[in-house]
Amino acid sequence: MSIFPENVSTYGQAIDNLFWLILAFVAFAFFVSLFILIYPLIKYSSKKVNRAEYITGEKKKHFKWITIALVGLLLSDFVILYVEHDTWGEIESVPSKADVRIAIIARQWNWIFVYPGPDGVLGTTDDVTIDEMNSSLHVPINANIVFELRSQDVIHSFFLANTRLKQDALPGRTVIRWFNITKPGKYDISCTQICGILHSKMRNFVLAETPEQYKHFTDSLYNANKPATASN
Amino acid sequence: MENLHHKKSFWSKYIFSTDHKTIGIQYMVMGMFMAGVGGYLAYVFRYNLAFPGKSIPFYGMLGAEQYNAFVTIHGMIMVFWVGMPVLLSAFGNFLIPIMIGTDDMAFPTLNALSVQIFFLSAVILIASFFVPGGAFGGGWTMYPPFSAGGYLNHNPDFFKALFSGTSLLILAVALEFVAMLMGGINFLVTTVNKRAKGMTPWKIPVIIWFLNIGAVIFMFSVGPLVAGAFMLLFDNVLGTGFYDPHRGGDPMLWEHLFWFFGHPEVYVLLLPSLGVLAEIVPVFSRKPLFAYKTIIYLALLSAFLSVLVWAHHQFVAGIDPRMATFFSIGTILISIPFAGIFLSYMATLWGGKITMKVPMLWAIGFIGLFLIGGLTGLFLGSNTFDIYAHDTYFVVAHFHYTLFPDIFFGFFAAFYFWFPKFSGKELNPKLGKWHFWLTFIFFNGLFFLLFFNGLAGQHRRINDYSSFSLISREPYQTFEQIATISAIGLILSQFIFLYNFISTLRSNRKSVKNPWESTTLEWLSDSPPPHGNFNPYPVVYRGAYDYSLPDVPEDFTPQNVPNPNNN
Ligand SMILES: [Cu+2]
Repeated sequence: MSIFPENVSTYGQAIDNLFWLILAFVAFAFFVSLFILIYPLIKYSSKKVNRAEYITGEKKKHFKWITIALVGLLLSDFVILYVEHDTWGEIESVPSKADVRIAIIARQWNWIFVYPGPDGVLGTTDDVTIDEMNSSLHVPINANIVFELRSQDVIHSFFLANTRLKQDALPGRTVIRWFNITKPGKYDISCTQICGILHSKMRNFVLAETPEQYKHFTDSLYNANKPATASN
Repeated sequence: MENLHHKKSFWSKYIFSTDHKTIGIQYMVMGMFMAGVGGYLAYVFRYNLAFPGKSIPFYGMLGAEQYNAFVTIHGMIMVFWVGMPVLLSAFGNFLIPIMIGTDDMAFPTLNALSVQIFFLSAVILIASFFVPGGAFGGGWTMYPPFSAGGYLNHNPDFFKALFSGTSLLILAVALEFVAMLMGGINFLVTTVNKRAKGMTPWKIPVIIWFLNIGAVIFMFSVGPLVAGAFMLLFDNVLGTGFYDPHRGGDPMLWEHLFWFFGHPEVYVLLLPSLGVLAEIVPVFSRKPLFAYKTIIYLALLSAFLSVLVWAHHQFVAGIDPRMATFFSIGTILISIPFAGIFLSYMATLWGGKITMKVPMLWAIGFIGLFLIGGLTGLFLGSNTFDIYAHDTYFVVAHFHYTLFPDIFFGFFAAFYFWFPKFSGKELNPKLGKWHFWLTFIFFNGLFFLLFFNGLAGQHRRINDYSSFSLISREPYQTFEQIATISAIGLILSQFIFLYNFISTLRSNRKSVKNPWESTTLEWLSDSPPPHGNFNPYPVVYRGAYDYSLPDVPEDFTPQNVPNPNNN
């Protein structure tokens, strides 16, 4: 059993790997520090020692060990920073190739999904908006899903744990984020920014399907939602 | 009527006193009471998490709205009405004059006013539970527009809006800041002007340095937030739109103002407790504090860095991704001085002559737990891993592993250490040890497993996880129950402390003047210290940590002992 939920995104594994790398540094530092803390309690117990040594620690040769430890800590920090740099850039910037463009809008208390309609462009009259509690956002697998994230009212936060992605939705701003899911399935979307009484119920799904299933879904969706003004 | 003619009635001696020791004790008692309130709130919502939908003993059913209010006010109380008054105000007021060898604070009346305003702020906070709509439930960070009216408690009627949970909370926090500012000014002026003859800067004990550095960080960072809080209050009661994007405002403004204060605030809370460790560890190691001067420099460095790291709380808030790297580096850098301070404390142990008396147990437990809290911070300082971990129980467990040892282990270490001084009595050490071990075990039982809940994707501030498939499954439900049972154990263990405290006060177990054979000035005063503290006032000849000096038969040399070469 893994300590993380199953990763189904292209970039999720990099985040999990980063965790294990940091854990290696942390575990090492923890056990060394614990030794430095506990061992003297036994070795220098008043039962065994007659008189303490007079060491002020102001001399360089005494402080040397702490300097070494601090440099070690600083170096491991910068190793982490170096390793994570590319992953951060990958997740936080928009990929050049967007296979599907959608909008996700938060409100008290639901995630609203806006599909671009047959023209594939958001903000046109053929957009279809789904605003239903517990509804699913349909997406094709192995495709770059680029979404505009907004909020209608207060701050919410979009969290799709199985892809490791989290992003706050702020009123008055549009943030563009993306994910690419590699495995079909139904995954929880939750809100991670406290937003009121039904914050706990602000749960929807991402339904990742094969491209054929997705095509079938959008075709029937767009057929059922033909704009009244579009005659031909 | 006769009472009025007494020189010191109960009221003027204990309630409206301007004596720094009484004020310190008032802050401590109020902080302890508020810790009880905050602990009770935690008990209620933890019970709800472990046993959802069940009626909670000593409360009843907990709805979503109350759940949100309880977690919010729990956080507010523990930071602003427990951590601040106990660590900063109680320690500062009780210890600063007596440890620098003077009679009182520089401005005793301002000091008394500060404690009265603090009391008022606590009353307003608790009152906010009882107004229509209940206490504010939008998280202790109070992010607008949720907190800015229109969405939760806002009422177009001015008075109804003013007496809403949101407005009362903002008002209570603002008053608490005023009280702390008055205290902070007092700390600085007292320390600068009233030190005993001979107490040059490098002879000042670390805790006095740290209390002052903490006060400076607080005063520097709180200004913008006070302005921000007033804008928030105006949004609520006057209907302005400072944080409303539909009217040209910006919610991100609050996030910056809040965390510009909120992150340094962590160090305001941490420094006094680190000061406590610096006083206790050398005493029970019979050894000078390792690298005293370096520790002071590191704390000054951290104070400077503390105002440069705030936006690491906003990695997923939509700030410019390039900015995140800057704040990541700042976060990495600020861990260095604190690691250096902790390592210096550990180095103090090496070559010492260590006795594990009760205050020392708390000090060592503090360092051990903080190690976990500090190191897990590495995961969150990484902006990339934070994309996943932000606002999960990993964060909750992490900051409880820093703040709980800081506030409670720091307080108890100090309490067991200085109790003989402020009461003249001797606590029961056996009960002190029981109190320590039970608190230590139950604390770990409460928070350790929650790291795993966080990694499994459990997000915060949810009263009911039944609709989330990742969390409402084993072993995470069992972990919730272990956490809650530990929380109950943790709260019950504190009654050992209360019993020890009260029964000792009523007993006749007199303490000697300097029970731990410490070097600092407070131990020269009687126990409890009389009004005015010293007679005659001490003169300082040496630093605060002269333990086991070579060529001196005793293993401690108090600060007022002249250098033998000069005699
Ligand atoms: Cu929400």
